Amino acid sequence: MDVELIEIREFIAAHHPFDMLPDASLEKAAGSLRGLYVRQGKCLFQTDDTVDALYIVRTGALETRDPSGEMLARVGEGETAGAAALLRGGRAVNVVEAIEDSLVYAMPAETFHTLRQHHKQFAYFFQPAGGERLRSGRAVAGQGGPRGSGPAHAHLDLMGIHLGDMLKRAPVTIPPDATIREAGARMSEQSVSCLMVVDPADSGGRAAGILTDRDLRNRVVAKALPYDTPVSEVMTPDPLSLTADDYLFDAMLLMTRHNIRHLPVMKDGKLAGVITNTNLVQTQNTSAVYLVGDIFKRDTAEGMRDALEMVPELILQLVETGASAHNIGHVISSLSDAATVRLMALAEMRLGPAPVPFVWLAAGSQARHEQTARSDQDNCLLMHDSYDETKHGEYFRAFTRMVCDGLNICGYVYCPGEVMAMTDQWRQPLKVWKNYFSKWIDQPDPKSLMLSSVFFDMRPIYGNHALFHDLRAFVLKKTSGSKIFLAYLASNALSRQPPLGFFRNLVMIRGGEHANTLDLKHRGIVPIVDLARVYALDAGSPSVNTLDRLETAQEKGAVSKDGAADLRDAWDFISTMRLRHQALRIRENKRADHYVSLETLSNFERSQLKDAFSVVKTMQGALASAYQTGRM
Amino acid sequence: MLRHVLGLDMTRRALWLVGKPGPMRDYYQEDYPTLDTPWHAVDYLAIDLETTGLDPMHDEILSVGFAPVRRGAVHMAEARHILVRPTRPVPEQTAIIHGLLDDRLAAAPPLEDVLPVVLKAMTGLVPLAHYAPVERRFLSHACKRLYGQPLIVPYVDTLRLEQRSVERQQETATKGALRLNAARERYNLPRYRAHNAMMDAIAAAELFLAQVAHMDTKRPPRLDEVSVG
Repeated sequence: MDVELIEIREFIAAHHPFDMLPDASLEKAAGSLRGLYVRQGKCLFQTDDTVDALYIVRTGALETRDPSGEMLARVGEGETAGAAALLRGGRAVNVVEAIEDSLVYAMPAETFHTLRQHHKQFAYFFQPAGGERLRSGRAVAGQGGPRGSGPAHAHLDLMGIHLGDMLKRAPVTIPPDATIREAGARMSEQSVSCLMVVDPADSGGRAAGILTDRDLRNRVVAKALPYDTPVSEVMTPDPLSLTADDYLFDAMLLMTRHNIRHLPVMKDGKLAGVITNTNLVQTQNTSAVYLVGDIFKRDTAEGMRDALEMVPELILQLVETGASAHNIGHVISSLSDAATVRLMALAEMRLGPAPVPFVWLAAGSQARHEQTARSDQDNCLLMHDSYDETKHGEYFRAFTRMVCDGLNICGYVYCPGEVMAMTDQWRQPLKVWKNYFSKWIDQPDPKSLMLSSVFFDMRPIYGNHALFHDLRAFVLKKTSGSKIFLAYLASNALSRQPPLGFFRNLVMIRGGEHANTLDLKHRGIVPIVDLARVYALDAGSPSVNTLDRLETAQEKGAVSKDGAADLRDAWDFISTMRLRHQALRIRENKRADHYVSLETLSNFERSQLKDAFSVVKTMQGALASAYQTGRM
Repeated sequence: MLRHVLGLDMTRRALWLVGKPGPMRDYYQEDYPTLDTPWHAVDYLAIDLETTGLDPMHDEILSVGFAPVRRGAVHMAEARHILVRPTRPVPEQTAIIHGLLDDRLAAAPPLEDVLPVVLKAMTGLVPLAHYAPVERRFLSHACKRLYGQPLIVPYVDTLRLEQRSVERQQETATKGALRLNAARERYNLPRYRAHNAMMDAIAAAELFLAQVAHMDTKRPPRLDEVSVG
């Protein structure tokens, strides 16, 4: 080739994946090209033709169609056609036709394969499944792994750190019959601000109580108790605790909510250590935790609304500091939890305690810990079977009304589908809920399933958690065996498909539709959430968070390891893009939505998105054949 | 037309017979494709010259660019750009237009070294140019001067093809509309920024492929329908 082919080399170098080739390879690639002119309406190749080149569009546009004539993809300037056939040994399955007069550069198969051999990134780009490519691309972009293991920043560490990792030393203990004097001496000698009270006779290693320096001040000195009083008389018995697997963020929330400074951490049922709020303050002082504390101090829904006005700013901060979508979802959902809990406490103050045990359940994205900018409310109420409509109906009607109205004031607007605890149908005792689920699972039909899928993502927020555990055990037992139900759920999961791809600034959708903007929620995130739900219910997993579901489903064999990893990456990529988009909208004082305009995406982002879509398409295809949803 | 075919063929055969051994004789030894061959069965060599002016008697060739078209595709791998050392200093105006500076040209081989390479590349191929008279006259004149024989060969002239196409649509072609870039634009071909003989040859080759693709004939056009004697 002549070095003066610079014009052609520069053209291909400006397009992905050729932009990843070193100069020497680009030069060779440009020099190997053949220029072709294809008139509009003419085919470049047809089904069963032999393809001997990769076609790069210089000007014009090509369309790929399957043998039945359905459009599969459209490519414009700088994009390619024919790679699938080349990877299949040169046999074309589909038809490629020019939809505009096009100048096309043909790169000989030999050059194409040589480039693939020598340049991993180039090879990844043309791989049929996008998962590997998505990962390699993200590594290029320096975004780090799926759960945002990128830049170590305070905000993301909150969710990345398990309490187990925070424990610096074994707990300092004291038996319950020791005296206060001994306790004080031990605290001073070990320089700790609290002691765990453990009965040496209790082989289980549980904490009978906790004694803090504050207790010594408030309960001993202030009350002038004799120093030989046994510890058991001044300690706080049966303290609140978390487990080593819980996140640091959860500990901060619990401590803020109960205004405590020490939190025992259990591991395998045994006391493993204590988290103190000094630990936390040293780690960071985050606005999210501050915000939770603020919400708990408010006495009206309007007050909470004012506190929650900081949420958009918080999302901006989190996005900017590189927190992962998983972390941000958890933080934002925790704020909704806090508002819900506070509203219930206020309702109980006005109405008195509930006449029968109940539990408030979040549904949908809040339940999954996947909320982004503030969204609609989805919730329901589960009551003990001793509930009697005539005796208790009025109380719970008023109670749920108060909470739902409060949430609406806070900005969690009423659910358009009325999936709310204030709706009579969704405020029921356990036996009725069991009946609902029995009906959905035993006699599934597509329409009711569409409505009810939100109830398969539930999380207890406030009240008697045991009621929920009872319901969940019942549901999981039914779903994990029910092939018919799962097949319907799978079919439902396939109803929303990712786009075919992009063409210039249009999103191409199956069936020839196209749009100017990409709906990241319904075309990107929802299909993955739906897939994860099917896998999790198939595996009998109680998880509701999408990434957790993928992980447990994979452990139980309901989805392949690679498939789960690919979907996790795709979810993370699309969710992060949505958060970034929302953060930008918020900064411009616009409503945070799910629609990105293609003009704002770089070529690299487009190609990453296409990979994410291809992962979803592949997994949807696998699900369709596993459940034979075509027969429904 | 048959007479024309015989005429061309016989002339070339005669020149081969009387020619002295060398690049010119080697060139004429190879048959030119018959004029009734379908266009896509013919190989072409898109060629472009940069010269100091338009008169072959006085002006000189400064560079030759070419790119072959085989089986309906421009083959970049065989595209070449060759500078030619002029015998006299290049007039200032020309140097500005082509960006061919004296010192680069001074290091280039003379025409007697370049012409054999061009003839070899042209052997068996139909030359193709945008406004072919310039290439036709300069190359033929150079052959006469160096080998004592003219270069008798039909050319594909993309400017003529464009003019015909415009006239067929009963429009008068303005001069500017027939320029290489203006013509390319009508076929959705990209605008190349670089201007050297090789990129212009490639540009003409692509234009030719576009023109043929747009000829609304029932059968593929034959060579005599796209070339000019």
